[in-house]
Parts: sequence; structure tokens; C-alpha cells
Amino acid sequence: MVQAGSKKASISKINTKAGISSLIIFVVLLLAWIAGFSSRLFAVIRFESIIHEFDPWFNYRATAYMVKHGFYNFLNWFDERAWYPLGRIVGGTVYPGLMLTSGSIHYVLHLLHINVHIRDICVFLAPVFSGLTSISTYLLTKELWSAGAGLFAACFIAIVPGYISRSVAGSYDNEGIAIFALQFTYYLWIKSVKTGSVFWAVAASLSYFYMVSAWGGYVFIINLIPLHVFVLLLMGRYSNRLFTSYTTFYILGLIFSMQIPFVGFQPIRTSEHMAAGGVFALMFAVGVLKYLQSMLSKTEFKSLVVFGGLIAAGVVFLAVVLLTYAGYVAPWSGRFYSLWDTGYAKIHIPIIASVSEHQPTTWFSFFFDLHILVATFPAGLWYTIKNINDERVFVVLYALSAVYFAGVMVRLMLTLTPVVCILSGVAFSGLLELFLREDDNNRVEDSEEDEQSTPSKRLYDKAGKVPKMKHEQTRDTDSIGPNLRSIVTVVILLLLMLFAVHCTWVTSNAYSSPSIVLASYGSDGSRQILDDFREAYFWLSQNTADYARVMSWWDYGYQIAGMANRTTLVDNNTWNNSHIALVGKAMSSNESAAYEIMTALDVDYVLVIFGGVIGYSGDDINKFLWMVRIAEGEHPKDIRESDYFTEHGEFRVDAEGSPTLLNCLMYKLSYYRFGELKLDYRSPAGFDRTRNAVIGNKDFQLTYLEEAYTTEHWLVRVYRVKKPEEFNRPRIPVANRVVKSSKYISKKNTKRKKGVIKNRPQIVKGKRLSSQKLK
Amino acid sequence: MEQFFTLPYFILEVPQIKIKKPSWIKKPSAMMMFSIVLVSYFLVTGGIIYDVIVEPPSVGSTTDEHGHSRPVAFMPYRINGQYIMEGLASSFLFSMGGLGFIILDQLHNTSTNKLNRILIATVGFICVLVSFCTTWVFMRMKLPGYLQS
Repeated sequence: MVQAGSKKASISKINTKAGISSLIIFVVLLLAWIAGFSSRLFAVIRFESIIHEFDPWFNYRATAYMVKHGFYNFLNWFDERAWYPLGRIVGGTVYPGLMLTSGSIHYVLHLLHINVHIRDICVFLAPVFSGLTSISTYLLTKELWSAGAGLFAACFIAIVPGYISRSVAGSYDNEGIAIFALQFTYYLWIKSVKTGSVFWAVAASLSYFYMVSAWGGYVFIINLIPLHVFVLLLMGRYSNRLFTSYTTFYILGLIFSMQIPFVGFQPIRTSEHMAAGGVFALMFAVGVLKYLQSMLSKTEFKSLVVFGGLIAAGVVFLAVVLLTYAGYVAPWSGRFYSLWDTGYAKIHIPIIASVSEHQPTTWFSFFFDLHILVATFPAGLWYTIKNINDERVFVVLYALSAVYFAGVMVRLMLTLTPVVCILSGVAFSGLLELFLREDDNNRVEDSEEDEQSTPSKRLYDKAGKVPKMKHEQTRDTDSIGPNLRSIVTVVILLLLMLFAVHCTWVTSNAYSSPSIVLASYGSDGSRQILDDFREAYFWLSQNTADYARVMSWWDYGYQIAGMANRTTLVDNNTWNNSHIALVGKAMSSNESAAYEIMTALDVDYVLVIFGGVIGYSGDDINKFLWMVRIAEGEHPKDIRESDYFTEHGEFRVDAEGSPTLLNCLMYKLSYYRFGELKLDYRSPAGFDRTRNAVIGNKDFQLTYLEEAYTTEHWLVRVYRVKKPEEFNRPRIPVANRVVKSSKYISKKNTKRKKGVIKNRPQIVKGKRLSSQKLK
Repeated sequence: MEQFFTLPYFILEVPQIKIKKPSWIKKPSAMMMFSIVLVSYFLVTGGIIYDVIVEPPSVGSTTDEHGHSRPVAFMPYRINGQYIMEGLASSFLFSMGGLGFIILDQLHNTSTNKLNRILIATVGFICVLVSFCTTWVFMRMKLPGYLQS
């Protein structure tokens, strides 16, 4: 009885402990979700519930179209308002996961009679998904290390700036949901490697399917998982679990990914996906060899396995190379190729290199986006490498590849951030487990007992608990001493607090600008809202013909289509380099040459962004060199980048600037009548605040275009392209004018009303008319 | 089954060689792996790829009001630009901070005397704090309004 009672008591004790720990987990995750959600709301609170930037406008427009017309019409949508005159097949060139997600949320909410506008769903989708991301990060880290590390990682990823940068409210982009899909796929993959069950592998491939539908970054998964398998094979960690999970995942993932119209046959046709297929074949080769080994039971066989595997790998590699050579497999696309050969994009694909988020990363971005985590990341890596097992190999590979890719492109900081959070969670939990553990020996042993009572957990060694030296550990904890312990704890907490302060500051100051609405602060702290973009787009939508074609640089294509609902020539989809180069050529040639291009393209309006009045640095003049470079790539005879620099190789807009620059269309459209404007009393007229210079070409007229609209702060300027019959003919001084005076006097009078035809051919019988003319 | 495998060897003669694993191929130790990883981390966070692509100078220079040119270590106000030395300095600090955390962790598995323990703790602390504070100073040089307003 006594024994039974004590057993019962211990069970209830265990139950309450489990209950408390799961309550803690629940509360922490909930708080992480709330904190992550609310720290992403700066933009909504400061401005309004508005879609940000460029790409989100297209996603929003597509989502609104899908909600209005239905999914199948969306898949068949041919958008004739983009890429005039080519048009764009939207359904086949888009990752539909984002639209489907918000569309289905909209559908469910409307079923429940909660009438939310689709725009609000789009605005708040990314912050809501950040909570799901932190939960899946918790699950992944728990599989890799421990629940405590998982909670740390979940809290980190909820507020880390590297992830917030792409998921603030209003930034309605693929990445917002894709990071969740990424983490969840990895979690399910780790789970399936650990258990070797088909169920988890199928779940992983389903999650992979969602990821493929959401973001082009799925290529990262389909290369990282095979890499993991390959490294495990190299380390001699082949197992039936691995075989089951990888083969299931690969086949199902392949079939699922081919269901997305945009991806189509790429998974079996392009080089990016070939590694996965190669590892799949290798897996079978190794499996067969292992089977033979079990049949033959020879000792030398082990080395043969290695060589057999190597030969199989070589055969697969050669097959891929041959297929690529024969043209069955497309070689690496430029975007991926530039990840390996870092100089490639700079030389060959200016359109990729021109995007600011495709620039290589500086140290500043690492610290700015990760703060203290940038230092704890190596520590976490050290913990995992020290206690390596099958799934920790994965996180190490993930870390290494992500660090490299983040170094190549600022944009890929996004894929680095989750793994940094995971490993920092591991590091912090390892440290705190060491320093926060109470001296109370009973409790330590209690928890050890707990570990042993659940056999499934015993398979994976917990962080910081080295079971062999239990007695030693208690002595150690004594000798660390309470002072040191508390100092370390306080310092770690202080660092974490500074991390939170940094994250909030960065989010509020750097990543919460909608970039549609700008805010400027006066010296007294008063805030001015510059709403020029929407002003101009609204003007376009109200005052131009419905079919009017607007030419602008490609950055603004999605915004014009989304807000003004007008036809654009190029937009942020950048799929057709030559079309963009044509627009770039029009912008960088002189007015008459540009007019030819513009009439050929049926342009009605030209829109330029000009920041010289308010000192906005992201305007078209600052982007201008990229237009020149892209145009030069396609039309090297007409446009040369060197023409736009001064003799000293400087790009300047003042009087010393190169004459080609001072007379090109972009310059004229930006600075038209700017020379008359005096911004304040001290600066001279025509002073450009962005480039801190007085412009060089002040006094000029436009021949082929006329100013249609300029917004309040001159941020957006719209020009109308004149029709051929209406431009001003060149003005001739009065003295040089020749007026043909005709000596013709009408012979009509009241009597002779009958008209005569001048030079009327006289018809003489027997003679031909033409012969008469020849004479 | 046995015949199936030995079938080719009726025709072929098995050469008398023994294929051995070369002695230099060894499974690298955890510490070795980690140092490789740390070095590559040091290089990447220092923006080595940026340096290769953009080719910035190692230190910048500016002319002061007297017309003398003075070296400038940090490219100010430019968050996506850097000089080579500035990148290396800050990534050294990042790695130092990471090492500090690792040293702090070493505290429990050294079964040595108290003095060593205190030394290890001090070194770890200094690493973490110095790296953190200096990076903070760097941030202030780069972005003067950092953590203000």
C-alpha cells in the first residue's frame, strides 16, 4: 500500500511537472506570437493599413483578382495590362501559395460572416504567420536539441530584425509565409529522419509542396536535404530510416512540386534540381551495396562500399553533365549561377545586380539584422558539432550554406536568420542550463530520473547533461560559486534585454516604412506625411484614358498597375530583359531618339520619380546608371556607359556633368523647370538636395513631351507624350521665315461660278495622258 | 548466389592488389570541423564576398579643411558599403564574442582549481563584453543615430 501510494504520488508529481512545463511552453509561445505580431505593426499604427513597397502590390492585385473571379480564372488570367504589348500570363508565372493562403482565409472568414476586406487580410498575413514561424522553429529546435532551446529560438525568431524586415504588416510578400513553410518542412524532415516513418516523410513532402507553391526559395530545400543525406552517407551513417524517409520525400516532393504551373517540368529539367535526383540514385546504390554486404558478409566489403558509392556518384554526375551537354537538362539559370560565381551577375546580368537587395552583404547588415545572435551563433554551432548526431549534421549544413548565401546577397539574410535563431537558442540554453541550475542536488537527480523514465527521450542526449559524471557535476556546480553564477546570469539577461531593445529600434526605424507614404520629421519633432506616390497614381487613374500606356522604370510597374490601374510596359517581374533594356534605352537617349522608341511602344505617359526637392535618395537619377547599363547590354552601339561619366569618371548632374547625361530624357524629365525653383533663401535656384549640386542644364524646353502632372513635393512627375501631329515645330527666327506668297487670284466672281481645275489635263483624242506629262 | 558473384572471375583474373584507404583520409575531429566553420564564418561576416565583388579600398581617405588627406576607417552613413579593414575588424569582434561564449561554457568541464576557473570566467567575460561594446561603438560610427530617438 505504502509503495503503491508513493508510486501514485510520484506519478502525480510527474504529471504536475509535465503540466507546468507544457503550460510554460504554451505561454511562452503565445507571448512570442503576440510580441512578434505587435512589433510588426509599427507601419500600421504610424500610417495606415496599407500594402508596402513594390512586389506586394502585385501580390495584392493578384489576390484581389482571385477573390473576385475565382481560382481557375486566376490560373488562366492573361494580364494584358502588364508588359505592353506582350502581356503576361499571370497564372503560369506566379507562385500561387500566397494568394491561395490569404484567399482561403478570406473565404473562411466570410463563411463565418466576418466581413474583412481582402486588403486587411493581405496586410496582416505576414505578422500572423510570424507566430506560426516561431512555433515551427520551436518544434525544429526541440527535435534538434531540447525544449528550452526551442523556446529561446522561438522568442528570437519572433523579434529578430532579419526576419521582421520581410514580414512587417503590409509587406505582403512570398517570404512572409515561405519562412514558416521552410522551417516546418525542415522540422518534418528531421522528424522523419529520426523516426524513419513514411508518415513523417509524406508530411514533409506535403509541407514542401506548400513551400514550392509559395516561394522560389524552395530550391534551397531541395538542395539542402539531399546534401544532408549525402553527408550522412559520407559519414557512414546510412540507415534504413534514412533510406525510407529520403526516397519517400524525394518522389512525393518531386511529383507535388511539378503540380505548380510555374514550376512545371523544371524539377526534372534544370540543373538546380539535379543534385536531389543524383542523391536519390546514390541512395539506391548504397542500399544495394549494403544489402549485398549483408548477404556476403565479407570484411573487405566495407571499403568496396565506399568505392562503389563513389563510382555510382561519378556515373550519376557524368550522366547529368552529358544530359546538360545534350540539352535535355537546362544549365544553371543566371540567378542561381550568380550564387556560385559571385562576379557573374555583375558582368553578365545587370538586371539582377541592379536590385539593391541582390548586393553582397557587409558586416553591418549581419550585425544590424542579428545583433547579439551573430556572436552566439558560433557558440551554438560548437555545441552541435561537439554532440553530433544525424539531425545535428543537418543543422550544421544548414548553417554553413545559409551563411555563405547570406554573404552573397543581402536578401538571403532571410534564410540565415532562422538557423541563427536555432543555434543561438541552443547556445543560450546551454549556458543558462549551466549557470542557472540550482545547487539543490535533489532536483537535479529528479530531472535525471524523469529523463530515464521516458525511454524515447533517452535516445538523444540532452544539452549540457553529461550523464557519466553526475557526482562530478554536483561538485562542479558547488565550485562555480553563487557570485559568478549570478554575475553570468545577469550579464546574459542584460545582453538579451539589449537584443530586444535593438530589435525594436531597428524594426521601428528601419523596417517599418511603407515606402509608398514617406514621413519626414521637422526640427521640432513634428511629422510631415509625404503622400506623393498615391497622389500621382490617383491622378493617373482619374485623368487618363483607361487604356493609356504608362512608361516608367520597372520598379514602379507593379505600383502603377495596382494603384492607378493603367497599362505598364515593364514591371518588377523582370522576365524580359530586352524589353526593359528598350525602356532603359528610351530613358537614356536624347529626346528625339527616345520619341521614336516611345511611339514604337505606343507610350502615352511617362512617369519619373524625382527626389531632388525633398532629398529622397531612391529616385530615378540615382538609379539611372543601371538603366544605362541594362540598355548597354542589349544595345551596345547606341548606349555607352562611359558617355555618362565625366572625364574623371564621375557621375555628376551639375554643370561639369557629361553632355550626354545632361541631354538625356531621364535628366530632362527629372529637371524640367527645376531651374526656376528656389527651395530656400540660402541655396541657389535649381539646387538638387539629393545630390547636393546645382543642376547643370537649367534652361530647356521639351519638344516631344509635355508636363502633365507634378505632385506636391515634385516626387512623381508625369509627362504626356505628344502625338506626331501636335508637337511644336522648331522655332525659326522671324527674319529667316520664308512665307510663300501666292500670286493666285481667284477668278471667281458672281458671274462665273463654275469652277476650274487648275492644271487640268487636257484630253486630246488619240494622245495618251502620260505621254503628255512626260513632255 | 555464390556462382553469380564469381561468374566474371572465370574470365577475369583478380589482380593481386589491395586497395587501401589512404592514410591521410581521416574523419575530421569535431574541433577541426569547428575551426574550419569558424574561420569561414569569420570571413563571410567580414563581407569577403562583398570585397571580392565590389572591390573597395582597404581603408578610405578623406581630405580635411587644410587639404591633407586623412585615412578613414569606416565608411560612414552607408549601411551597404564598407572598407575591407572595417569588415575584418568587426567580424573579428563577432568571432571573439562567439569564442567568449564557448570559453564560458568550458567552465564546467575543467576539473581544475579555483584560480583557473576564475581565469577562464574572466577571459570569457572580457571577450563577450569587449566584442559587444566595441561593436556597439562601431555601430555608432556607422549610423550616428543608432539606438537614439
